[in-house]
Amino acid sequence: MDILNFFNADIIALLITLKLALTTCVCLAIIGTPIAYLLAFKANKSKAIIETLVTLPLVLPPTVIGFYLIVFFSPDTSLGKIFILLTGNQLIFSFNGLVLASIIYSLPFWIQPLQSAFEKIGVDTLNTAKSLGAGPFDTFFNVIIPLCKRGFLTSFIISFAHTMGEFGIVLMVGGSIHGKTKVIAISIYDHVEQLSFAKAHFLAGGMLIFSFLILLTLYYSNKSSIVRVK
Amino acid sequence: MTKMLVKINGQLEGFELNFQHDFKSKGITVLYGPNGSGKSTIISAIAGFTNNLDITVKLDDIVIDGKKTLPPHKRPFGTMFQDPILFEHLNVNENLNFALSRSKLKFKHKITKENLIENLALNKLLKRYPSNLSGGEKLRIALARTLLTQPEYLLLDEPMSDIDIRYKAKLLFFLKKINRQFKIPILYVSHSIEEISQIADQIILIDNGKKIEYGSTENILNSDKFQRLIGKFEASSIIEGAVSSINEPLNVTVLNINGQELIVPGRPGIKDEIVRVRIRSRDVIVSKLKINFPVIENELIGKILNIETEKKTAYSELIISLNKMKKNSTLQILRARMTTFNLKKLKLYKNDKIFIYISTVSIDRQAYQY
Repeated sequence: MDILNFFNADIIALLITLKLALTTCVCLAIIGTPIAYLLAFKANKSKAIIETLVTLPLVLPPTVIGFYLIVFFSPDTSLGKIFILLTGNQLIFSFNGLVLASIIYSLPFWIQPLQSAFEKIGVDTLNTAKSLGAGPFDTFFNVIIPLCKRGFLTSFIISFAHTMGEFGIVLMVGGSIHGKTKVIAISIYDHVEQLSFAKAHFLAGGMLIFSFLILLTLYYSNKSSIVRVK
Repeated sequence: MTKMLVKINGQLEGFELNFQHDFKSKGITVLYGPNGSGKSTIISAIAGFTNNLDITVKLDDIVIDGKKTLPPHKRPFGTMFQDPILFEHLNVNENLNFALSRSKLKFKHKITKENLIENLALNKLLKRYPSNLSGGEKLRIALARTLLTQPEYLLLDEPMSDIDIRYKAKLLFFLKKINRQFKIPILYVSHSIEEISQIADQIILIDNGKKIEYGSTENILNSDKFQRLIGKFEASSIIEGAVSSINEPLNVTVLNINGQELIVPGRPGIKDEIVRVRIRSRDVIVSKLKINFPVIENELIGKILNIETEKKTAYSELIISLNKMKKNSTLQILRARMTTFNLKKLKLYKNDKIFIYISTVSIDRQAYQY
């Protein structure tokens, strides 16, 4: 009975993890894509500063991001109040808080593949579309997106996998609440702490195989598409 | 028939651009100048792709750029850049439809897809994807695609720089046809003399961002400023004549130049078609006396209009008008380059009547339409 409960808990943690990764990717598509577009096509003075800010989560320890999120989004700050207004609960210990943290943490993983895909298309292709009468949105949906399918797929897979593997920032912001903010990575940590190596093996091995397969699929499909996409 | 007024001022890298021109509502206007003279910038400014210049563009008194600025996709131009880009995710037919469905004229299409497919021989390509096409094929498709937007003015920025010569002649001929048949004026940027001698009705010379001369093709190509721009070594003149007969076994064509005969290699045109040929000044030999046993195919008669002696070099240049043996013929100018030494020896002076000898092998094959 006990063991069954434990597996139940892990399944719930897995579902939360998948939901988190998917929500994060949807948000990144909405927030990250325009930033990647600006960085690829609108080079100006602010480009360097935007690129730096966007890449920062890549080099910072997740705990630093977690710490500042907690500080800046505490309920008595104006950012915290806005967050409560928008999501209905405070940042810390909430799933929505986890989503925000994941967006920031995975932002470079969404932007960089997409930015290089956009850059590969080049300004000349955009100008050609415009010269044929396509406006900016028309061009984006009918030229850029189809030409950058591969870039979008890469961004999605890498961001998804990266979000699934979060630990530090999730622990700080979410606090490992069962059924709410406890994700797979934390479950593994807890199993190891309790010396339940069998369960840890089960989850860790699952993550390993999952990550391996996802990357293999990505690189395999990239290889076979080189011929078509110049 | 659309008139276009263009004014562009601004600072570019290395020089200032001050360009103003009232473009004719018909024909093909060529913008000619050395590399880096600002030609491409002018095209891209008219099409709406350059922001940091002071630009005025009016089409038939409708403001395209000036107080208010139309974004590029709303401008009634068909623009083609140096390297034509096809959308790789669409096949040829879909590439054409991309333009057709966004054309500025929704119902009254002057140029139909069927017409272009036939004239540019695209039928076999329709299902193919751009990554499997040659440069020439891509260019033809890009051209058809641009025309399908039903543009009021066609802007072409050296579109044929990478195309082989025989093919180029065909496409130039097609552009001329489009220009005449659908009455779409064309602005054509080029720095190839062969191209412009083929296609231009009028020429704008541009150097260092400034318009230095404008006029009809013959006047410009024979003008001093043009000759100076292309350098003395390449100095040449363009003469025009109708095909009077074709010698098929020997593969030469006889042109009638104001009633005089000129034998040119190959078959530049069908009977009675007007053909332009470029003749380099250094290939023209002159004599006051008729050579009784000419070793060269072509003998023409003309008069020396002027002599330009270069002080610092060994050379002089004769400006010669060809005699009119036929009524209503136009003035045709030929330039001959010789050493000043020979000029003195032959005692050539202004207004002298002379015989002109031109070897057929020296006539530019590239200079005419196939």
